[in-house]
Amino acid sequence: MSPHHLNPSSLKSRFTTRFLRALTNINAQNPISSSSPREILQRYRRIKVAADKSMAYSVRSRRTWSRAMRWKLRSRSWRQASSVRRLKITTTCHQAIMKKTAHERESKTTTGEEVGFGVQTDGLRELVPGGEAMDICNLLDETAHYIKCLTTQVQREQIAS
Amino acid sequence: MEPKARTTETRSNGTTSDGDEAVALESLQFTDEIHRLISAPSTDNASSFTALLELPAPQAVELLHSPESAKLIAAPAPNVEDIKGSFHFPSNTGLIERAARFSVFAGDSNNNNNKTGSAETTSNNSSQNPQKEVKSEPAETESCQPLVSDPTVEKRSIKRKDREKKVKGSTKKSKTAANESSEDAEKLPYVHVRARRGQATDSHSLAERARREKINARMKLLQELVPGCNKISGTALVLDEIINHVQSLQRQVEFLSMRLAAVNPRIDFNLDSIFTAESGSLMDGNFPSMVMPLMWPEVQVNGNRQQYQQQWHFDAIQQPIWQHCTRIK
Repeated sequence: MSPHHLNPSSLKSRFTTRFLRALTNINAQNPISSSSPREILQRYRRIKVAADKSMAYSVRSRRTWSRAMRWKLRSRSWRQASSVRRLKITTTCHQAIMKKTAHERESKTTTGEEVGFGVQTDGLRELVPGGEAMDICNLLDETAHYIKCLTTQVQREQIAS
Repeated sequence: MEPKARTTETRSNGTTSDGDEAVALESLQFTDEIHRLISAPSTDNASSFTALLELPAPQAVELLHSPESAKLIAAPAPNVEDIKGSFHFPSNTGLIERAARFSVFAGDSNNNNNKTGSAETTSNNSSQNPQKEVKSEPAETESCQPLVSDPTVEKRSIKRKDREKKVKGSTKKSKTAANESSEDAEKLPYVHVRARRGQATDSHSLAERARREKINARMKLLQELVPGCNKISGTALVLDEIINHVQSLQRQVEFLSMRLAAVNPRIDFNLDSIFTAESGSLMDGNFPSMVMPLMWPEVQVNGNRQQYQQQWHFDAIQQPIWQHCTRIK
């Protein structure tokens, strides 16, 4: 890692501030007295969510994957809030969107567009959030940005721990 | 980057020319516009494919519809060596197509108007024009005249055939390829891709080729991002590597957050220290607790990397920690 002074509005700094804020919040909420595995698991889940959330929000939804991730997080929080009606709406909307984009993707591939790599793109689509709804061109773009953000996240978490 | 710049230009011009086409089909403006276009200042090279376009386009018009009018158009074209084809070209084709269409509707009047210039222009053509297209043109005019029947769609297909015939007749091979590409690029003013020699040149394959190039460019970017991908050749393997990398990054995030969950309460979150600790040095006081949790993520993640012996994220991360440990000891 090259030690250089941070740009105050860069992705790294944004992520760092958000993440640390989330961590302090979690710490404040649950003062750990004992280190029982169950509590650790709970905290782990919360921290993971906080990390994902802070990353997704600091990307400012200019990217498809961040939008997909935000949507996922929001739907998860809604599900936890146990509002059944909201859940139904969101899932049906999401399914409609996914169907539509799947159709688009199929039609694109059947119009003679040459796709040299089929299997791996599916694997990539699973990995990158929101990847099912994109064609290869955009998928590669999103993957590059996602990799960059993940590496930032990992570096920061490494430092923070 | 040049084709991209051209693409954007032609895209914008293409849309405007389509709009113009729809608006007016007036006899008064027909010949005037074409003259204006031909005499307009243009390209850098006469040898560029866009310069060549000035010739095939008006000649195609001529071949299709009225030989005299088209010859009139063709005559000034060779004289103008500098043609900014890339800029004027889509509007040129749009207007020429419109002119072509129009000449069918009002063929007699145009022929009458242009007959006076025809005799002069033919001589001019044969003398001045170094391009082979013009020479092959009289041979083809006769064959093409009976084809003139219906507007728009048929015209385009006929144009394509004629241009292909012309191109086959021409002996300049590089210009042939350029002609083919340019002629087919005419059909889609927003796709401005130069076809290479010996490659298919219909619009679909052009679009596909543009896509492929885009995809390849992005794959290169990804290769640079992912460590160790530069040595691998072949897109499938590179993609596999990228997938592995993304998976490992996601797992790293999970492990680190697990570690944070375990280690959290002892850490004092000091923003300044974290920002200054960019270089990888870690905060003091937590090494015993950190060393232990660090072992198991390393083992699990490194298990995925059996194929590659490259030093990798965790190794780079390990080093500062071990340095600290040794320092403390």
